[in-house]
Amino acid sequence: MPGLHTIVCLKVVPKSEEVSVDPETRTLDRGNARSEINGQDMNALEAALDLKDTYGGRITILSMGPPFFEPFLRLGLAMGADAAYLMSDRAFGGADTLATSYTLAAGIKAIGGCDLVLCGEESSDGATAQVPPGIAEWLDLPQITYVSRVQVMKKARLLRARRQLQSGYEMVETLLPCVLSVKLGINEPRFLDFQRWEWAMEEAPVTVWTAADLGLDEGYLGLPGSPTAVSSVGAAPSAQRRGEFLSGTPQEEAQQLLERIRPLVRLS
Amino acid sequence: MKRATDEAITLDDAYWERLMAATDGAIAPCFQCGVCTAACPWGLLQDEPANVRQILRRAQLGIPESDGAIWWCATCRACEVMCPRGVPIAEVMLTLRNLAWQDGAVPKGLSSVLWSLHWDGNPWRRPPSQREAWTKGAEVKPFEPTDEILYYVGCTPSYDNRSQKVARALAGVLNAAGVSFGTLGEREPCCGDAAYGLGQHDYLRQIIAANVKLFAEAGVGTLVAVSPHCYDMFLNHYPRENGLQPLHYTQYLAQLIDEERLRFQEPLEAKVTFHDACYLGRRNDVYDPPRQVLAAIPGVTLVEMPRNREDALCCGGGGGRMWMETAAEERFANLRVADAAETGADILATACPHCIACLEDSLKLAGSPMRVMDVAEVAAAALGIGRSAQ
Amino acid sequence: MLLGGDVQPLAAEAIACGADTVILAEHPLLEPYTTDPQTKVMAGLVLEHKPDMLLLGATPNGRDLAGRLAVRLRTGLTADCTDLTIDEKSGLLVGEVTGFGQGILATIECPRHRPQMATVRPGVFTRPQPDPSRQGDVRLVPVELSEADQRVRVLRRSTSKGVDITQAERLVVGGRGVQGDFALLRKLARLMGADVGASRVAVDQGWVGHDRMIGQTGSITRPKLAIVCGVSGATQFTVGIQDAETVVAINSDREAPIFETADYCIVDDVFQVLAPLIDALEREKAGKKG
Ligand SMILES: Cc1cc2nc3c(=O)[nH]c(=O)nc-3n(C[C@H](O)[C@H](O)[C@H](O)COP(=O)(O)OP(=O)(O)OC[C@H]3O[C@@H](n4cnc5c(N)ncnc54)[C@H](O)[C@@H]3O)c2cc1C
Ligand SMILES: Cc1cc2nc3c(=O)[nH]c(=O)nc-3n(C[C@H](O)[C@H](O)[C@H](O)COP(=O)(O)OP(=O)(O)OC[C@H]3O[C@@H](n4cnc5c(N)ncnc54)[C@H](O)[C@@H]3O)c2cc1C
Ligand code: SF4
Ligand code: SF4
Repeated sequence: MPGLHTIVCLKVVPKSEEVSVDPETRTLDRGNARSEINGQDMNALEAALDLKDTYGGRITILSMGPPFFEPFLRLGLAMGADAAYLMSDRAFGGADTLATSYTLAAGIKAIGGCDLVLCGEESSDGATAQVPPGIAEWLDLPQITYVSRVQVMKKARLLRARRQLQSGYEMVETLLPCVLSVKLGINEPRFLDFQRWEWAMEEAPVTVWTAADLGLDEGYLGLPGSPTAVSSVGAAPSAQRRGEFLSGTPQEEAQQLLERIRPLVRLS
Repeated sequence: MKRATDEAITLDDAYWERLMAATDGAIAPCFQCGVCTAACPWGLLQDEPANVRQILRRAQLGIPESDGAIWWCATCRACEVMCPRGVPIAEVMLTLRNLAWQDGAVPKGLSSVLWSLHWDGNPWRRPPSQREAWTKGAEVKPFEPTDEILYYVGCTPSYDNRSQKVARALAGVLNAAGVSFGTLGEREPCCGDAAYGLGQHDYLRQIIAANVKLFAEAGVGTLVAVSPHCYDMFLNHYPRENGLQPLHYTQYLAQLIDEERLRFQEPLEAKVTFHDACYLGRRNDVYDPPRQVLAAIPGVTLVEMPRNREDALCCGGGGGRMWMETAAEERFANLRVADAAETGADILATACPHCIACLEDSLKLAGSPMRVMDVAEVAAAALGIGRSAQ
Repeated sequence: MLLGGDVQPLAAEAIACGADTVILAEHPLLEPYTTDPQTKVMAGLVLEHKPDMLLLGATPNGRDLAGRLAVRLRTGLTADCTDLTIDEKSGLLVGEVTGFGQGILATIECPRHRPQMATVRPGVFTRPQPDPSRQGDVRLVPVELSEADQRVRVLRRSTSKGVDITQAERLVVGGRGVQGDFALLRKLARLMGADVGASRVAVDQGWVGHDRMIGQTGSITRPKLAIVCGVSGATQFTVGIQDAETVVAINSDREAPIFETADYCIVDDVFQVLAPLIDALEREKAGKKG
């Protein structure tokens, strides 16, 4: 029996603290921001590598984004993935989660499907957590979100996962193929394997697909295919640590503190 | 614990070949006298310490390490100065770690340190945009090729709130001596010490190549480093053809004192003992400059710990040990703090950010009234710098 | 809409809290929550009732469901809203969301597709005071589901978390300043559904286990809220807490560096502050039950 074929959806994001809002135009300024692979997606890739170590098989990286994503996908190849696909086309620009999940699902079909799709729980920029369930729906596959542990029973084609909930967790089970989204920090992504470096950086093909290559339905692509619209952006007041000193008697301090953290406390 | 050499073992020819190629024959001269095991500080702290000689033996035979012993080494070289055969033991340890990286057999937590280097350019998981936070708003100008020196702050003094004080103190001392200096600000790269100490040689090569280019473009000549680790990297691991002249700041301050550009007038009444950092002392024979700086301060009484200079006890923070946990009762620094306390010193001075972190941490557990200070902080205090600013 | 195994008892509460109509969908396959049956039933109800807006809680399960449902309905979904308003001119639902690590605020609309969907971050709207005298319409709808509709099975659920502070949503953290007395910290943690963490010195002293150590050589944590007590804030510690959303620091030393990485700072003896904090929470809890 052949090993597992896993597709990891990997997004490149700007470093959050380097993104600002231009106060005049009220638009996002990512000009000077350095980029990185979304943290959760690194965890998703490590989870895939871990499964590959155990069960064999291969890993394909899939991403939708501008051409500058390519070197980042190659880092994934240097970590141990086998192939990478970048869906890159102006027509994909401005996609909301409906359009993004449509496009990625189409990419997965074009790759020829797989046993398992691994995503991050959410991206650090949009942070909607909506793309993985969206992909699962477009592909009509079962989904398991907020996963903190994965186990595969290869013969039975059964997957068991631990889902992290608000309080505690649940163990769930489904048949392959399925779509998973993993929580940030569930594992430690392995560092680059320099024995793969030259291959990954120079020789390995990163296939670039445009909308026309795949014959996609334009009605679901990019900005025109997105039902949501961003009506304004601004800097959040709480971007930096507030550093607010509370004062008074200990009772008063406790009371002021409680007023401020009230929404974050869950009485149990 | 049963060691693998007592068992029936299978030799791994492929591993042996990789190992020979990687160590370039450096382990061959070892004749298994065991002096290194006896010299290693772990013997003072663990009931069943890492057996250095045995690690060398297994390396000679090509038996892969499996019990994690190679990760204990703090690369302090206490063993090397004793070895009758001149085996570069610490380098061998790092080479064994490099092979472990290649085999994906690395302790938890270390990949994250290297990813932090990769994404953020420092091992502390801090954003590059905050690399200048140590100045606390004080004006430190960008380096220009016409400056006397490049002030290379380094990652730990840039980000660690304790060592930031050292970086500020040193900037103050340099200003007081009228030195024209600048920093590379947000562009300052990591020297690569964390990759070196963790044995990730392949990655280190990339870091060095990038930095050589950056330094050449910036027109760097004399580079003064806060940390002995950065100094050692630039001095011993970087190509020298570009006119890079690395100095540890204690060397540079000693030079300024000789040239009478740096003068201490006000007395600082204190009994001070100096802890030699391994990456200054045993690695680079920089024993006198820090002592010269301290001795130039009127009122300072310098006392030596019994183990000093070549015999100094390591703080335990070298060789990537800053990123690995050590059980509370097994820390080298516990013994070192006791050494210092016995001298009756008020100040335990050192000149390395890692030493400061380890010594201060052990001092907390010991509950001693002694203070740990960097030589730069002692100098700044003697000059009256930062009394209001810090 | 209330979906579940036995949700009828909740209908009265929903009406008391302001609902006019409650649609109840009950079926054994709707409890415990799994994606497929819930999506199927809710999609059917939406197609039948054609609401203008569809709001769900941005809990893990709420987001799991909403993400799938929005694609099935081919409509727009605004994620994890921190505020909701209706635009006066267009009458559209405007959702305020954060992005880029909470650094950016954006408002999002769904102009042409219906329903306009949004998930709402728990805790941003205050729960209305229930008015038991309110009247409303409760409709129990038939549910058609079969085993084939459920592809993911829940094997078991656990609320005992074990110690995994890396996944903790809330943390109460103690350092050398708590002087060995973690009892109050544990009590506070229990009250607010938090885990207990510690600095290395606190672990070294044996006050708590090593698996609770936060920092460079401990664990990197990402809680929504961390209350840090009697910790000085050495960098080796703060790297383990810098990704927390909100940090509270309680330390008797105004100069402690921990205050530089905190949102709310209290310069005081930790025990003096924790006691009234616990009291207040206990009173609130008792009030809620009573
Ligand atoms: C501040 C802000 C708020 C936004 N709010 C909304 C909103 O409320 N509703 C909405 O529809 N859109 C929203 N968007 C747009 C949305 O970010 C984009 O549609 C984006 O392409 C995908 O969503 P995400 O980043 O939130 O992904 P998430 O769903 O958070 O990502 C989860 C996982 O999906 C995978 N994934 C996501 N995108 C890609 C990709 N391009 N390539 C490969 N894998 C990927 C990754 O594994 C990732 O970890 C918002 C954007 C911003 C900047
Ligand atoms: C190699 C290495 C790795 C390390 N890794 C870690 C790590 O992973 N995690 C970690 O935490 N540390 C780590 N450390 C140790 C770190 O450097 C600090 O020493 C440690 O974090 C300090 O712990 P603390 O804040 O509890 O104690 P202290 O620094 O002693 O601080 C105690 C604080 O409590 C305050 N206080 C005292 N009494 C009260 C009171 N009644 N009410 C309120 N406040 C009070 C004091 O003002 C003080 O600020 C490491 C050190 C080294 C050398
Ligand atoms: S001291 Fe030198 S020769 Fe002796 S066992 Fe150690 S490495 Fe070998
Ligand atoms: S370098 Fe130091 S820690 Fe390493 S083996 Fe030698 S004596 Fe021991």
